[in-house]
Amino acid sequence: MNHTVKFNLNGSPVEVQVKSNEKLLDVLRDKLGVTSPKFGCGVGECGACTVLIDGLSVRSCITFAVEVEGKNVVSLEGLQADGPTKIQKAFIKNNAFQCGFCAPGFVMSATELIEKNPSPTEEEIRHALAGNLCRCTGYKNIVDAMNEVSQENKEEGR
Amino acid sequence: MKEELKVVGHNAVRLDILEKVTGAAEYTDDLAFGPNLLHMAVLSSPHAHAKILSIDTSEAEKLPGVHAVLTGKDFPEKFGLYLKDKSIFAVDRVRQVGEQVAGVVASTYEIARNACKRIKVEYEVLPEIHDPYDSIKEDAILIHPDLGNYEIEPWLDAQPGTNIAHLRKIRKGDVEKGFEEADVIVEGEYHIPHVAHTCIETHISVSKFSMDGRLTMWNSTQSPHTQRNIMAHSLGIPHKNVRVIAPPIGGGFGGKAGISMEVMAAAGAKACPGHPVKLRWTREEEFYNSSQRTGLRNKVKMGFKKNGKLVAIKHQMFWDVGASAEYGSNVVNATGFSATGPYYIPNVYIDSYACYTNNPICSAYRGFGYSEFSFGIESTMDRAAKKMGFDPVELRKINAIKEGEGVAYDVPMNPNGLIECIDKVAKEIEWGKEEKSDDPNKIIAKGFASVWKAPAMPANESSSAFIKFSEDGSINVLVSGMDLGQGFLTAMAKIAAEVLGLTLDKVRVELPDTDRNPYEWQTVASHVTWSCGNAVKRAAIDAKNKILDIVQRAHFIDKSQLYLEDNGVKCTTQESFFIPYSDFVITGIQTEHNTWIGGPILGSGMFMPEYTNAMVNPETGLGGHPMVHYTVGAGAVKIEIDKETGRIKVLKMAEAFDLGKAINPDLAKDQIVGGFVQGMGTALWEECIFDEKGKMLNDGFTDYKIPTILDVPRDMNPILVEVPQPDGPYGARGHSEHTMIPVMPAVANAVANGLGVRITDVPVTAEKIVMRMGKPEFMEEKK
Amino acid sequence: MENFRYLKPAAIDKALSLKKELGSKARFLLGGTDLFIQMDKGFVVPETVIDLKGIDELKGIEKKDGYVYVGARVTWTQLIESDLIRKEFPALWEASDIVASVGVRNTGTLVGNICNAVPSLEGGSPLLAYNAAVLVKSSQGEREIPAADFFTGVKKTALADDEMVTGVKIPVKNGKFGEVYVKMGRYEGEDLAQAGVAVVVDDKNNYRIALNAVAPTPVRAEKAEALLSGKKLDESLAEKAAELALESISPISDIRSSKEYRLHMCRVMVKRALMASVSRMETGKPALNTRLI
Repeated sequence: MNHTVKFNLNGSPVEVQVKSNEKLLDVLRDKLGVTSPKFGCGVGECGACTVLIDGLSVRSCITFAVEVEGKNVVSLEGLQADGPTKIQKAFIKNNAFQCGFCAPGFVMSATELIEKNPSPTEEEIRHALAGNLCRCTGYKNIVDAMNEVSQENKEEGR
Repeated sequence: MKEELKVVGHNAVRLDILEKVTGAAEYTDDLAFGPNLLHMAVLSSPHAHAKILSIDTSEAEKLPGVHAVLTGKDFPEKFGLYLKDKSIFAVDRVRQVGEQVAGVVASTYEIARNACKRIKVEYEVLPEIHDPYDSIKEDAILIHPDLGNYEIEPWLDAQPGTNIAHLRKIRKGDVEKGFEEADVIVEGEYHIPHVAHTCIETHISVSKFSMDGRLTMWNSTQSPHTQRNIMAHSLGIPHKNVRVIAPPIGGGFGGKAGISMEVMAAAGAKACPGHPVKLRWTREEEFYNSSQRTGLRNKVKMGFKKNGKLVAIKHQMFWDVGASAEYGSNVVNATGFSATGPYYIPNVYIDSYACYTNNPICSAYRGFGYSEFSFGIESTMDRAAKKMGFDPVELRKINAIKEGEGVAYDVPMNPNGLIECIDKVAKEIEWGKEEKSDDPNKIIAKGFASVWKAPAMPANESSSAFIKFSEDGSINVLVSGMDLGQGFLTAMAKIAAEVLGLTLDKVRVELPDTDRNPYEWQTVASHVTWSCGNAVKRAAIDAKNKILDIVQRAHFIDKSQLYLEDNGVKCTTQESFFIPYSDFVITGIQTEHNTWIGGPILGSGMFMPEYTNAMVNPETGLGGHPMVHYTVGAGAVKIEIDKETGRIKVLKMAEAFDLGKAINPDLAKDQIVGGFVQGMGTALWEECIFDEKGKMLNDGFTDYKIPTILDVPRDMNPILVEVPQPDGPYGARGHSEHTMIPVMPAVANAVANGLGVRITDVPVTAEKIVMRMGKPEFMEEKK
Repeated sequence: MENFRYLKPAAIDKALSLKKELGSKARFLLGGTDLFIQMDKGFVVPETVIDLKGIDELKGIEKKDGYVYVGARVTWTQLIESDLIRKEFPALWEASDIVASVGVRNTGTLVGNICNAVPSLEGGSPLLAYNAAVLVKSSQGEREIPAADFFTGVKKTALADDEMVTGVKIPVKNGKFGEVYVKMGRYEGEDLAQAGVAVVVDDKNNYRIALNAVAPTPVRAEKAEALLSGKKLDESLAEKAAELALESISPISDIRSSKEYRLHMCRVMVKRALMASVSRMETGKPALNTRLI
């Protein structure tokens, strides 16, 4: 079955022809040229494909493209209209990633967390990012960066 | 001129962090190839060992959208890095579950997969072998009956007519006499299962044969030049017509060293000239069809004098290399030379067997075999310490190898800071201080290990580098080492910047493209900082000499008075003299006659260790110089164990490595943290589990558990020790792989220290601890 | 994955008439975190997928007439973010908070979880311990199935082909109570439960214990409950009850754990969950999400 799916992608309306069985990840990457969400496992376990749908982090590899009709979909590409965000700057400063393949997914999950909870504790940070796998870093610099963001937000009264 | 280092040894943010955090980094799968792109899927064997009686591809070929169907008969040649025992697609027989039997190239991946399902293969199932002990039995079925006819490196010792692809022996001193002299002998047997690299990016290749006969490959790889070499040889086309481009890579850890599935993409491309052909592994294929870490069964016997001094070791290692030993044979070789651990032992007897099995192929994995054998060695050291009444840290210090003492193959040990590493780790972990948990169900225990590792390389491995200046005085450094995430680009940039007096913002280092970047053997063995760093340093010195020459000729100042600083040239005798690079590195310097001196500045450099020699006596392992140097280190953990559940929480880690010189200390420490956590995964949870027919039961993250952000210690302490490597750039030697090695034994030692249970088979699971606690056969002997 | 017909009705009646017409050839889709993967692997090949996310009646958590109603569209995240669930159903809250990961909890639902009915499901044992009911509708009418009767086997439920689960109904407790859900995974990170225990106690010394992942369906430990009933808990009683709880389960050995270790762990988990539930009732401690194992 074929569908024309209309949704907002990174702030702009898009319209794309898909079959019912097409995965959001593939449609974003192959039909819409949005490549920051990555294929890592295909079953929603590694977090590399994470995008925000109506503000919530979702595994685009286990989402049907038809399901996002009328939704707001945001990938890493859509977060940076004004340059790197506070979270990204903290990740940069802390050398938070090594190979970097998991980085877009981490930024998306971290963005959702900070939107909901601007100054999380370290354990809240870990709880929120536990679905994003990284094989390189041991997560230390990711946590350090997020602690800095949390502290900064706290100081700013967020 | 000032002597102190301005860039090297200082911290900088890694060069590639911005592109990675912003999503700008284009990994292979992110590159756009247009509508001409074709997709490939492969059909895998359901059997671990079987003859292929027939393959019928006719139904697959009929499917609309299918461009080509490939099987082994199209590609009879064998390939491989050190031992050519591998086929692109199985020929006549399959040797592991998951081995690729056929491939389909089609307009979409879906069509390619559906076509694979229509291929009919008739098999005759053969007896299968899944354990190295079964592999070496005299009546074992031969997995590679043609072993004797395979092309093989001269320093490997295959045993045709058996399942032994390589045997490395060491016979130093007289081991029997050594044991006779020993006051205490400790023996044990250990088992390490296969584990998987689990890069988050699965293997991927996009290959294209253009109509002019050139092959271009975009590969997620650690080894672009090695791949070019193998492709050129197997396809019979000139090297200049094979181009391997290495876009950013989503993790390597040895799994993307050498060549594996890329040959299939090239085969697919050859059948469909003009089309780029993409082959990307699924997560399941990644587990089966790339490579895994070698499994090991080993027997360790170590003899000590009353004063704690080691006098003899007998170490027999039976490596499960899986269905091919093309790369794994070198793991077997390297560990054969080194399986003493970082200790001076006068009498050494080592046998290291590469045993073919019908398990997935094993090759390089961070640590290159040292993690596996060090588990037995370091467990033995702790057992011996307890038996003799020594503190385990003290026993390691007593035996720590010193500069000049003979290693297993009797070549003098390089300068090293092992004792310093041990002391610093012991101090950080507060060794000897007893700690109690607030929870009555839990105890706190500590475990220790010290390790070493040498780069495992052919004797003539080499690196090279180009440096080219641009008009604004910035440089592009062209190398073919790969940034796997370890920070290679940053390290090379800093070495070039240091020599040329550049600020780091003026330096860019290019990822490999074999058309443009000069030769590098491979990014493996934790050797590129050392080897490629030397090449970059020499290229920078070459460029520097050209710069000085031009300035000398144009300004009539003797070279000896010139030095490079602040992105330009300065003079020791005239304080006001300064020519920025942007004034002349392309245009040259104008003379009073309005002529010009100079031209575009280029530098080139190469490096090869000229003292190595892999050709040892096969009976003794002596007479050569197979390793360039060893990097040493130590690690310790503090763990909390729930006595009722057996569950372990690692509270704190400390690891120290002597990396000679930290080019970028922060990034060097990040390697320790990342490697520790990867090691912790293998110590506590990770294991490829197979059924009796060789089918992997946990080929996904559902049941292959790698550490998450919740599972890592909250207190991680990486420590750098710097005893310079005489032939390293600024004294540097590698340490990235080494960081995994102490973890498995340190955890097992901590469990034994805390509960008295000695786990000899990793992973050290909660279940094993609970089920074995109190059973005499698992409890540790004490003095 | 095979292609399929995707329909997204806006009303329950429409969805039910479709299901009546199509029967087992159609599957309802909620978060899809289970169904998607089963379809992708080819384990399930529906001709039609009926997405229920267009039906507003299936939304929401509501307290009414002594019950809390959780609609079929309520995600794990919505459960976690609900003060009502956090305060009145802490075992369900703890179970929800340990399902998979944020990215899965944002779309996955409690109702989808129980309909999928894999033994490891986190949603089952709290519902059993609450004596909750599963609300079921078809175009013929509606019925309530007690949670204990809803699960009939591995991936099997009491649901007929033309029926839909519209939500669950959990009785509100009167008086003081304490609850715990404790999960055995291989580590702290995302994992399928190898065993799970939900315990609910009240100040009249009523005890309800349910376990998941240790039998084909979630089960109540009735013998243990009977032993405890009316008695004030102490450690030795908790140990005896834990021992007795093992008689209600029949764990298997698989790659995640051996049967023996599951039995051992259930003993430890039931004991600790009982002690922690009573302690929570009396002192408010341990705090939610404290790892008991």
